[in-house]
Formats: sequence, C-alpha cells, structure tokens
Amino acid sequence: MKARTTIPLLALSIAAACVATPAAAQAQSGNSNWVAPRTPEGQPDLQGNWTNATVTPFERPSGVGPVMSAEEVAAIREAAETRAQSLTRPSDPNRPAPPVGGDGSTGAAGGVGGYDGIYIDRGDAVAVVRGEARTSLVTFPADGRVPATTEASRAERLEYGRSSRAGGAYDHPENRPLGERCIMSFGSNAGPPMLPNGFYNNNYTIVQTADHVVIMTEMIHDTRIIRIGDGPRLPPDVRPWMGDSWGRWEGDTLVVETTNLHPMQRFRSNSSDNLKVIERFTREDEDTIVYHFTIDDPSVYAEPWGGEVPLESMGNELIYEYACHEGNYALSNILSGARYQERQAAQNQSEPR
Amino acid sequence: MRWVFASMALVALAAGLLLISSTPSAAHHAFGAEFDPDAPIRLEGPVVRLEWVNPHSWIHLEVTTEDGTKEVWMVEGGTPNVLQRRGLRRDCLPIGTVLIVDGYQARDHSLRRANARDVTFTDGRTFFVGSLGTGAPYEGAQPAASSGAC
Repeated sequence: MKARTTIPLLALSIAAACVATPAAAQAQSGNSNWVAPRTPEGQPDLQGNWTNATVTPFERPSGVGPVMSAEEVAAIREAAETRAQSLTRPSDPNRPAPPVGGDGSTGAAGGVGGYDGIYIDRGDAVAVVRGEARTSLVTFPADGRVPATTEASRAERLEYGRSSRAGGAYDHPENRPLGERCIMSFGSNAGPPMLPNGFYNNNYTIVQTADHVVIMTEMIHDTRIIRIGDGPRLPPDVRPWMGDSWGRWEGDTLVVETTNLHPMQRFRSNSSDNLKVIERFTREDEDTIVYHFTIDDPSVYAEPWGGEVPLESMGNELIYEYACHEGNYALSNILSGARYQERQAAQNQSEPR
Repeated sequence: MRWVFASMALVALAAGLLLISSTPSAAHHAFGAEFDPDAPIRLEGPVVRLEWVNPHSWIHLEVTTEDGTKEVWMVEGGTPNVLQRRGLRRDCLPIGTVLIVDGYQARDHSLRRANARDVTFTDGRTFFVGSLGTGAPYEGAQPAASSGAC
C-alpha cells in the first residue's frame, strides 16, 4: 500500500485549475503505461476498499485559488504533522477537571469537547485530483462555494425543522438526527453524494457484478445498491434511504443518477423531493478513483453545482463492521439528560422563593 | 504588496484546512446534548469493564471518592473501528489498568457517566505516540509499552 499522505509534488499544477466538468472527468493517469483493470464482464474494475478522508475542506476558504502550490501542500502537511504530534503528547497525570462552562471547543463536539487525538481519524491528506492539490472539494461554481439557496427552500427548511422536532428536540427519539440514531451515516458519508465526514471511518467497499454495483459505507453500515441499465424508475412516492440509483458505463466512467431520496435524508439539511444527484466514478490509476458529483435540485439551487473527491485505495486494509445501533448509550443519555433537567426545573419552580 | 496577501492567504488556508475539514452537516453525536458543560469531572481508577461497541466504546472505571466509597463510572470513547486501526484492541486494556480521564458528566446527573475527553495512563501517556492516520493503520506507530497496551 502506498503512503496515502504522499503528495506527488512534481505533478502539482501551479496554474489555475480548470473547473471540473463531466467532460473533463476522464481518467488522465500520470502513468501512461497503466491500464485500467477489467472485471470478467469487461467493465472497468472499481472493486476494492477505498477512503475519501481528507483535510481539504468542502468549500474553498476565501482568499485562495482552486489549486495549491507545492509550498502550500508542504505547509499543510507540516501543520497536520505538528497537530498530530500535539494530540498524542502526554498529558499531565495531575491535570484538573476541565473548566466549568466548557473547554472552548467548537463544532460538533460543542463546549464539552470531543475525544483526544487517538479517537479521531479524519485524515491528513490533501485531496489531489489529476495532479492538482485542491483547496476545496467543491469545484463548480468556479469560486468553490456552495451557491445560495432559494428563499422558498429556506422557509421550507425552517418549517421542516419545526415539524420534525415537534414537542422539542429532546422529546422523543425520533426527534433526534438520523446519524445519532444510527440510521444514516454522518452528514453525507453514504450519500449520494458520498462525502467525507470529518471525523472517522471514511471508508468504502465497492463490489461489482455484471448488472449491479454495490457500495458499502463503513460508517453506520449503509449499503447502496446501484442497478446498471435503464429500467423503470421507482414511482415518486417510493423513496428509500439513499434513493433510487441507476448506473451506466460511459467509456471507463461509471455514471450513476439517483432520485427519490428519502424525505428525511436532506442533503445539507436543505434538499427537495426533486433532488437528483449525478455521480461519476473514474479509475485514475491503481490507487485512485476520481469521484465527481453534481447536485441538481432546482427547488433549492438556481444552478447545478458539484465537485470532485479522490477515493484512495486502502490496499489490503480491512473495513471493519460498524454495527452502529440505535439504543447505544448516547441516545438514552441525551433523552434522560433532558428529563433530568426538566425535573430540576420543576423542582426549582416548586421551591418557595 | 502582493506577497503579503499571498502569505496571508496561505496562513488562512493552512489554518482553515485543519480546522474546517469537511464537517458533517448533521453530527452523529450531539456531545452538547449528552454532556453537561457545567459539570466538569476528573476520574482516576482501575478499569473494571470494557464495552468495545459501536458507535462508541465505553470504559468502566472504579473510582474511590474522598470518603472512601467505591463508585463505578462509565466514560465514553471513540469508535472501536478507529482504535482497531491504531492497533488498540480491547485486550490492550486489561482489567485493573489504572486510567486517568477528564471530561464532562452526562446531563443526567443521576448517572455516573461522562465523556472521555482525554484518557491517559498514570504517567500521563496516551495510548499511542505517532502521526494521525487517514483511515489506514498508523505508519510506524509505536504502541505504549506499559500497562498492557498493545
């Protein structure tokens, strides 16, 4: 297995990146002698274990171009290494409890913090696609940012939030997010589109037959079944988890179109029943599949948008069963915590002032 | 002054990439909903039980209070899948291994549960010293040599 964090610096383009379009998503292997392997049926072979863990953010930070220079990649690598070392340094065995009111953490961990470095495995590789070290996974529009959503969709999103948490966010297990309930993976890990989650277990197994491609996502054990061909689509009111996916081969690229996503599986918390996701899987070399995605949801975005994520081979490394189950302690802790606080509030109100 | 802007952009990029990786739009785990930021805690004691289960591992510690009472506390850690890739298996933490944990208590204070913000051996070492991986095992990671760690 190659070292996944090795960036082919010599191959890095320091020119402005072309906006990735489906037409540009053809394999351009740096090794001209490399020939894409084939399945017994003669299809390009995408099978194996792959990871999309990366430090490259989904959207491009302001003030930077689409492609990093070798110097910038080196800086990222050095910063990642420094951060990794700081996370694994010994702690003071006589350390006190953390501060009251929270430790200042932000993001998903909130003020109580998450876990120390050994528990988190979000990757330290910059996303490299066709020799370009990318500053964002979103590549179109050209600014690498998710376009604005329509006003109507934002209003609908607010209403959905209200209705899906009727009685309060902690009133009922079904009012909790899908990931917390172990029903669907973090964010859009299983997809479509299949995106890294920023935490851990960003790993996939792809298995092919003559007429199906199956993608198992390690996180929350989600498995997508993609039918190859052009059969009848599901009727509009049948909306399974991960939608209704049909694939076709365009040259060496697997093109998958997905509609009918489950109404609770809302991409970026704001997607409509009209969402169509178009994915393109192109084997670039022995160790890389270029994954190109397009979000087409006219109810939410004025124009389609999307990007590219490299899927890097895990070699012979294994995917482990996640077997996440609703009812692990976290969900009961969250709900019992809310009940405890309600009891405390009621007790305080009943005390004479 | 172009070089100034370029270097500022580089700093922003380096900071940004490490701070705002592709954060999920909906976190799997609402730490803030489960744990109480106003109830910090430090626990020390031997491991009495390990639950190597997904989505989170749970370590049970026997803690001796100031009046000598023994209490069993459960602390929540990360997914066993990542720990496995780090080379850390449940048999790496034999029953009786003394750990120090800091974190925040569950919002339900009637439970003796907390998040394991930092888990170390009594000499302060974490389970591993090495570089963070990318979904694959540590390259060249050296496991902790004592306390039965693998």
